[in-house]
Amino acid sequence: MGNNILDALHVQVVGSGQRFLVFAHGFGTDQSAWQRILPFFVPHYRVVLYDLVCAGSVNPDHFDYRRYTTLDAYVDDLLTILDELGIERCAYVGHSVSAMIGILAAIRRPELFTKLILIGASPRFLNDRDYHGGFEQEEIEKVFSAMEANYEAWVKGYAPLAVGADVPAAVREFSRTLFNMRPDISLFVCRTVFNSDLRGVLGLVRVPCCVIQTAKDVSVPASVAAYLKSHLGGMTTVEMLNTEGHLPHLSAPSPLARVLQRALSR
Amino acid sequence: MPTPVSVARQCLTEEAARALDDAVAVARRRNHAQTNSLHAISALLSLPSSPLREACTRARSSAYSPRLQFKALELSVGVSLDRLPCSKNLDEPPVSNSLMAAIKRSQANQKRSPDSFHLHQIHSSQQTTASAVKVELKHFLLSILDDPIVSRVFGEAGFRSYDIKLAIVHPPAPQASRLFKSSCPPPVFLCNLMDSEQGRWGSGFPFAGSEDGDDNCRRIGEVLARKSGRNPLIIGVCSKGAVERFLDGVNSGKQGILPAGLVRLSSIPIESEISEFVSGEGGKGMAEAKMAQKFNEVGDALDRCSGSGVIVYFGQLTALIHDDSSSPPPPLQQEQEAAAGYVVSELTELLKAHRQKLWLIGTADDYETFLKFVSRFPAAEKDWGLHLLPITYRSSASMQGFSPTKTSLMGSFVPFGGFFPTPSDFANPVSSPCSASRCDLCNKKCAEEVAALMRAGSSTSVYDQYSTNFPCSLQIAEADANKRMNVLMTKDDRTTLNAKILELQKKWNNVCHRLHKPQSVQQPGNQQARSQVVASDSFRLVADERERSSSGSFLPENRCLQLGASTANDLHMISLMEQDGGSQLASQVEHPYMQKACNTQHSGIQSPWSSQKLSTDYRLPADLASPPSTPSVTTDLGLGMINMSSGGTLENRRLQGNMGCPQQLLGSNSSSELGARLKTSLEVAQQSSLSRYNHLEMQPNPHDFKTLLTALQKKVGWQDEALCIIGEVVSRYRSGSFRGSRFGRDLWLIFLGPDRVGKRRIASALAEIIFNDRKRLIYADLRSQEGISPTYSTFELQEFQACEMKLRGRTIIDFIADELRQKPHSVVYLENIDRADVLVQNSLSQAIRTGKLKDTYGREISTSNTIFVATSTVTVDKEVFASDMKPGNYSEERVLRASRWQMQISVECATESASARRSGGLAVVVTSEKAASAIKRKRRDISDSCEQDRAMGIWKQGDKMQKSFLDLNLPVEDVEEDLEDGDSEAGPDAEESEVWLRDFLEQVDEKVVFKPYNFNEAAERVLEEMKLNMQSAVGPEVLMEIDDEVIVQIVAAGWLCGEEEAIKEWIRGVLRGGCVEACRRYKLAAHSILKLTACEGVVAEKQAPGVCLPASIKVK
Repeated sequence: MGNNILDALHVQVVGSGQRFLVFAHGFGTDQSAWQRILPFFVPHYRVVLYDLVCAGSVNPDHFDYRRYTTLDAYVDDLLTILDELGIERCAYVGHSVSAMIGILAAIRRPELFTKLILIGASPRFLNDRDYHGGFEQEEIEKVFSAMEANYEAWVKGYAPLAVGADVPAAVREFSRTLFNMRPDISLFVCRTVFNSDLRGVLGLVRVPCCVIQTAKDVSVPASVAAYLKSHLGGMTTVEMLNTEGHLPHLSAPSPLARVLQRALSR
Repeated sequence: MPTPVSVARQCLTEEAARALDDAVAVARRRNHAQTNSLHAISALLSLPSSPLREACTRARSSAYSPRLQFKALELSVGVSLDRLPCSKNLDEPPVSNSLMAAIKRSQANQKRSPDSFHLHQIHSSQQTTASAVKVELKHFLLSILDDPIVSRVFGEAGFRSYDIKLAIVHPPAPQASRLFKSSCPPPVFLCNLMDSEQGRWGSGFPFAGSEDGDDNCRRIGEVLARKSGRNPLIIGVCSKGAVERFLDGVNSGKQGILPAGLVRLSSIPIESEISEFVSGEGGKGMAEAKMAQKFNEVGDALDRCSGSGVIVYFGQLTALIHDDSSSPPPPLQQEQEAAAGYVVSELTELLKAHRQKLWLIGTADDYETFLKFVSRFPAAEKDWGLHLLPITYRSSASMQGFSPTKTSLMGSFVPFGGFFPTPSDFANPVSSPCSASRCDLCNKKCAEEVAALMRAGSSTSVYDQYSTNFPCSLQIAEADANKRMNVLMTKDDRTTLNAKILELQKKWNNVCHRLHKPQSVQQPGNQQARSQVVASDSFRLVADERERSSSGSFLPENRCLQLGASTANDLHMISLMEQDGGSQLASQVEHPYMQKACNTQHSGIQSPWSSQKLSTDYRLPADLASPPSTPSVTTDLGLGMINMSSGGTLENRRLQGNMGCPQQLLGSNSSSELGARLKTSLEVAQQSSLSRYNHLEMQPNPHDFKTLLTALQKKVGWQDEALCIIGEVVSRYRSGSFRGSRFGRDLWLIFLGPDRVGKRRIASALAEIIFNDRKRLIYADLRSQEGISPTYSTFELQEFQACEMKLRGRTIIDFIADELRQKPHSVVYLENIDRADVLVQNSLSQAIRTGKLKDTYGREISTSNTIFVATSTVTVDKEVFASDMKPGNYSEERVLRASRWQMQISVECATESASARRSGGLAVVVTSEKAASAIKRKRRDISDSCEQDRAMGIWKQGDKMQKSFLDLNLPVEDVEEDLEDGDSEAGPDAEESEVWLRDFLEQVDEKVVFKPYNFNEAAERVLEEMKLNMQSAVGPEVLMEIDDEVIVQIVAAGWLCGEEEAIKEWIRGVLRGGCVEACRRYKLAAHSILKLTACEGVVAEKQAPGVCLPASIKVK
């Protein structure tokens, strides 16, 4: 057996290509976020889709508060899935928190990944002395308390901000998946993400990376892309996407798909 | 005779007594006279992780989603509680007989039960007053579940109380078997099962057993257990904190940190000694002595060690490597290096001596530090057997104080949070019920109350003050099958009701204004409306009632004040509101049953409506706590509903169908959204009837080829051959004798070659001729998906506005499908078909084959009676195209870039060269210095921007980007070249799309190749006309210099409007007028030069009628 994790996290393998391509969604979405991107890759890749354990679509019972205290647990999930599927080499596209997960996974198992494509990635969301992550600790605390006080109101306010571009459909979609998350899990994951700091370990990455950064992203300032480029250990390129928002796969799927294709072919 | 609470408490263990207290609190809040089993159930369910909830999770039927079923359960408990009679406020509602009996039963059970006997013994030994058996929570629960009221409530929510009891009796043995079928091995991601048993049944709070960062410790522990490379070097900004936590954990002997093989480890930090020693602070000798002493200490500890061994924490690697920033004088630096070397070698020695018992642990902020260390001490990594462990989780102070106040979250999350009390004395010490959430709760209760009042049948109010007047005996569940009965009741109670609502509303408004943003007032309604998904059939009645209540509570929020004001009509307004709410529900929830319910509601309500004229003004009072945009929208909504009901039920139903997309309503301000959608769907309905009409009109009046051709030629005079083909195809299509297929199918054309404007004009003409409306044209530029917006001229036909704005995150195919849905029977104009992406390609191929266009959501829309026009500048046989195309001064690309600048005339004195030119007999000269550099300038702009980007260090593939930019701005040959480049770049994809295009070309009904528009001839004609006019206006002596850009602009305008005559008209009127004006003002001498230039950057304010040229020319 051993298919439990595959079932629990709704792992799907679609497409007819030779090479494997993993799409990992970010915070507040689930694998449906890749829906508009997928058709571009299905003809050429075997695309692996899965839900993070924190996603709203996953049975909240699976979310073990004792276990998912750090991103490493998510990395375990990812690596287990890849092992279960018998994948030896794959390209990895990760958005937001999954970008972080991808970085950590590539440190642990460099031989597994041919390429990391990081969308809206940030090694650290909080500002530091000589690092601009985009958030101050106090701001984050405010966000957390807002989430605690009224999750729905927070979702309503945050979703348009995160999507950035004026795309009602994307806002609706993101609101839906974000609201699907159980508030306590959502908050917990948020804390995990904001308490994570990947800056020190970026040098350990040996896999070639491609950082995709949108022109304006509320969560990730443009300087972070430059930081990633200079600190990631592997060959790293940065692609600027001429669109706004933290979720280009929702708000601008076609341009993103093109950039992804380009990045993957290199 | 009810039993006092204190007596009942004596029979219970602490845990069970707490549950009872919660139940009493529920009863008190609801003003119930007695505390019964239902209260206990309600209290237990409101806890986020009570054994009952947990048992329900395990016992629940797998047919429904767990959350849905829990919601249903909560709902049914809430409704049952509503039915209970209420009384005056009691401090401690005594325990009802049935509940007391349950307690007695459980006592008896517990005595009998052998496994609890043991526990009983323990209890009695612990507690001196073991006079009676203290009932455990488990047994307490079991007997409560025996209560028939309770089992009915569970039954309504699709639970079987028998299953639940079974689940309680048999606690889950291994945790894994709960989540997965017990035959499966435990899932890998639940491997961390340490202390899983603890905290499962007890507080069960998600965070109870965990401390943040435990995972870090565990990972460090795992490294220690390795065979080789077992000395962890923790890398990461937060590594120091992680190691310290780990060592603290080791020293305090905490469970779960170290792997099973390692016992009684001790740790010795030598971190401070090293840093002192290496930096040479505090006296060299002292530090050296200390250091040596420490190493001895470690050695001793190792010798004495009885457990698995000793961990030596040597601190941060930075201490051992030379620090650039402090830059000490060279001798000191040398000393430091020597000291570091000493430390490293000492540690190496120690490790060699005690390989099995000694662990080293250290940290580094980042990988670079480690690299430096390795370069200084190349052997150390191997000698020490270092294992790099990235740690990325920062345990912060804020995290430690973090209490997951789930109760407050429940308040905002669980839609019926208001039905459940927040446990007043919540057992878990970490929880701190925050005041904000309480108010939130109150807020919702307000909504609940209004709902209850609106229903007017429900007896009980959540809040004490308002409840006393209401009749207690009404049983809503029985009564609610008949809708009208409710309405009648409302009538009876109307006066009191209005007063009550006003009062309530005022009170809650005050509260909420003080504590919340205005929006949150609206929220409860929304929330409830959303949550009305009910799965179980057996649950119908209750659900129905609840639905109604929520639909009642949704709108009164906004309209309550008005309600009070209006007197005669308000009954009908209530019903209107309910209908509004109801249909909203129907649109949100695609559930057949609910649709049905709503329909019946409609039919029920329509009769009073038709009998009475509704002329109420629905404008909302300004002081209501709703965002400013809402009032007008809600007005629309109300009126829309009225319109529709007059239109008949069929319309209604269709409308609901149109709105039935749940996720689109989710998460948005549903009232405004609904209004907007209502409007659009009404429009759709109108349009489709319109088009049906068009369709009919078209049939009996078939145009022949000739009229069609003439109409097209009027629009585009220069594409005769193409027009012939198009005219023929279209007339055949219209006559129905088209390729033998039925009438009403779609028509696919592809326009190849240059002349962008001509193609567009023809498409627009087709829309006008065939569909009687130029607006029946759906335009999409497939190139816009590439993320590069083609910055073409402002010379655009109105219908061809840039589609990027309209796309807004939709894919092209979704956009087309949406538009087609709104206006079927249109011309779909797809520019640059060669740039279609895979999605578009697939959809189009499918559409051309099957007559159905499928969007990315998988929805299909019929393409019958739609004309698809695809265009491409590339042709299949490139040679023909290229030889025909003789780019001269004015290429299509250049003309396309023309802008609508204002023009001006300035007067200068003739220079020699100019007079020389004049002697040649020319009255009008084109100055081309600027024009010649136009393309060059564009190129420069582009490369500038690229350089900028590169300077920012962003573009890695600047050249490629440059190319893709360039192909927009270069003449056609260059485009071809670049296209080929693009092909080689994109590899297999481009090949595929070429194959697809060829395939597509095979399938379309007709290929039409366009000729290039002859711009040079047009320019010459313009110049001729100017010459003619100049001579008559200013006389032959004056020389006129015309900027090339102006010529381009005029040519472009001529191209766009399609009529030479209009341009001539403009020259005769506007240009001539300008020249005459200049003559008049400046008294032109023989050597004067009139210069006609475009004021770049100044867009013409007013346009001449019929052409895209300025209405007047400035004279400077």
